[in-house]
Amino acid sequence: MKRLRIGLLIGMTALAWVMVSSSIPAYSQEDITSLKDEAFGKGQRPPAVFVHEAHNEKAEIEDCNVCHHVYKNGEKVEDESSEDSRCSDCHNVKKGYPTRPLMKAYHDLCKSCHQTKKVGPITCGECHPRKAASSAHEAEEGH
Amino acid sequence: MHGLYNFVRGPLAWVAFILFVGGTLYRLIAMLVIARKKDNVVFDYFSLFYGLRSIFHWIIPFANRNSRQRPIFTIVTFAFHICLLAAPILLLAHVLLWDESFGISWWTLPEGVADIMTLIVIGGCIYFLWRRLTQPEVKFVTFASDFVILAIVAAPFITGFLAYHQWLGYKFWLILHILAGEVMLVAIPFTRLAHMIYSPFTRAYMGSEFGSVRHARDW
Amino acid sequence: MAEGQVIDGIYFNEVWEDAGLDEGTKKLTPEKIEKVINKVLEGETGARLKVYVDTCVHCGLCSDACHYYLSHDKDPTYAPVAKVKQTMWEMIKKKGRVSPTFMKRASQIASTQCNVCMRCAMYCPFGIDIAYIMSVVRRICHFLGITPLYIQDTAHSHAVTMNQMWVKNDEWPDTLQWQEEDAQEEIPTLRIPLEKEGADIMYSVIGPEPKFLAQLLYQAAVIFETAGLNWTMPATPGWDNSDMAMYTCDNEIMGRVKRVHFETARRLRVKKIVMGECGHAFRSIYDRGNRWLAWKMHPVYVEHAIEFYYNLLKSGKIKIAKKYEESVTLHDPCNVMRGRGLYEMARYVVNEMCADFREMEPNREHNYCCCAGGGVINCGPPFKMTRMLGNRVKAEQIAATGAKVCISPCHNCHSGLEDIVSHYKLGVHVKFISDILYEVMEKPGAV
Repeated sequence: MKRLRIGLLIGMTALAWVMVSSSIPAYSQEDITSLKDEAFGKGQRPPAVFVHEAHNEKAEIEDCNVCHHVYKNGEKVEDESSEDSRCSDCHNVKKGYPTRPLMKAYHDLCKSCHQTKKVGPITCGECHPRKAASSAHEAEEGH
Repeated sequence: MHGLYNFVRGPLAWVAFILFVGGTLYRLIAMLVIARKKDNVVFDYFSLFYGLRSIFHWIIPFANRNSRQRPIFTIVTFAFHICLLAAPILLLAHVLLWDESFGISWWTLPEGVADIMTLIVIGGCIYFLWRRLTQPEVKFVTFASDFVILAIVAAPFITGFLAYHQWLGYKFWLILHILAGEVMLVAIPFTRLAHMIYSPFTRAYMGSEFGSVRHARDW
Repeated sequence: MAEGQVIDGIYFNEVWEDAGLDEGTKKLTPEKIEKVINKVLEGETGARLKVYVDTCVHCGLCSDACHYYLSHDKDPTYAPVAKVKQTMWEMIKKKGRVSPTFMKRASQIASTQCNVCMRCAMYCPFGIDIAYIMSVVRRICHFLGITPLYIQDTAHSHAVTMNQMWVKNDEWPDTLQWQEEDAQEEIPTLRIPLEKEGADIMYSVIGPEPKFLAQLLYQAAVIFETAGLNWTMPATPGWDNSDMAMYTCDNEIMGRVKRVHFETARRLRVKKIVMGECGHAFRSIYDRGNRWLAWKMHPVYVEHAIEFYYNLLKSGKIKIAKKYEESVTLHDPCNVMRGRGLYEMARYVVNEMCADFREMEPNREHNYCCCAGGGVINCGPPFKMTRMLGNRVKAEQIAATGAKVCISPCHNCHSGLEDIVSHYKLGVHVKFISDILYEVMEKPGAV
């Protein structure tokens, strides 16, 4: 419980910080509260809520390449990671080939893990909540 | 929640689609077999040209006299049926599920538009309910089953609307929405919703009789 | 005035006494009803009835099509779908286990509160043929012996004499000779050729013409003579093209009557059958009887009087001397309009003959039924008020035209409209096309 509260605190702080000082272009991982990806343009749903630090702490993810993977010839390269590049660098928004399209990449990555672990959101509204995220969304847009 | 969601979205969805497709095929084949056996004349009089001519005059609003006589009903029923078919098939969230399961996807409606279409379907159901309750000629031929059918149609749209807007109990409405959709799919071939399957045939047959035998218009 | 009554738990929107219905019902047993219903449903119906019943969504859109419904101030029990509810749905749902009183009501609905005019089929978005469903109900009533008395008697006449009016074999040629003699006073060269093999045309009429409308035979003979056509009439049974057995759904008799009619035409080796101004007879030859005899279409070309007159006027074989001055309107009979699409030809003929033609609204294939056809007028005096009360809209429709003459190219419509005109005191004359054509045509041979 304590960890959750800390996570929440971090999240809230991060959110507040984003709201106040979003003019700073570079993000550190603490700043990440949603999976807003510029490549999408303006999406129909608010970007998925994702508090990077809290999520990874709770999910006990140590290795970056669990998510920030690198694929070569269809095989995941175990000791490489791609957190220094954007998801959309490989995953085109529209074109699927050779990688998954961007949205599908996100959906598959998040949901497959949640399904395997039987924990975490797997339905639309859980990741893209209309109220909370839309205010974050607006906040991000409103700088 | 994972278990329940996965159950209604997985095995139950399969069951619903199999019953829907299988049931529809069964009803169609049964109709053709019994027609061949006991009503062979329908094949003799069937005319593709006049059948299509008739369908054409009845799928276009105000292209037949009855629809001009009842403008409000015509507008409601056309809006209702178009939205009823288009909204679920072209809904972003539904297409994402098709994509997730089978890697197939197609053009989708903007979510705001789909939202309005959902409201049109619900509004249509309310209008039909109102007719059944108040219009003597409809009330007289209304059975309890007619209300059940109306509820079966309204349910996926009401629950879908509530789930989409996430006001309260999102996951509850979502699961109910999936269940309601599955009930409706299964109900199509096995209730009077079968008019979805049969109506092109009844219309075309009447069109054939009127066109090639009677040399008269049927609209 | 007809009052609704509940009898043995069944609602009757009208109560009339009819020996066929009343006595027939007394002889019914639930076992017999169940057996007959299931025999007909299983043995004689198939995909159409099943699909019609399964497809109907009980929307009530057919209601406004029905003249009974409209004339009874939208009483829902007269709506087409309501008639199916009170008959076929219940029979199917209860698998034939319905009461004798239910069957009496079903017979009343199918035989006297539906003219099988098929207007409702044009108002159902799915094209469900309610007239067909009513015919199946009549068929069941026929097997159960609860067909209204008068029409049943007419069907018996068909069965015995092959004509509708118990006209004896010698009376028929006798009547024709009488009309021939009368007409020869006007046109000395005129003949009514009997049994002329190899003629181009066999002219056939309905039983009531020799019985009490003999002037129609006279007029037809004048038209044939003036147009110079090679025609004939049979002297044997088979001259009558009418068919009330079709409307009692005594299909076996219908088949016999039509077979004799077609075989007579074949025996005379004619090119086509031209028939007088009758609607139901046209339906029986063009649509129902031929199908029962397994002919997809009529085995001998059948031309209704409207098409016949149209061709004569169009080709100039008949010329108009002076147009009819009186204002006229035209009633479109279901069996030749919805049944054969002759509406434009009828208008051509009427406009050629008449100076002042006024359309009824609605018209052509959307015209209101006369409420007499479909065998209803043949159910006789017990149900006259059913027709009068059931067709106020027709009276209003005729009155709205302001015309002094209503042309009706159909016998049933003609008789039915005469009743309506007198019941509603419209002061309109009902005429056949031939009445006016005979009056206004050039008759070069006349002395």
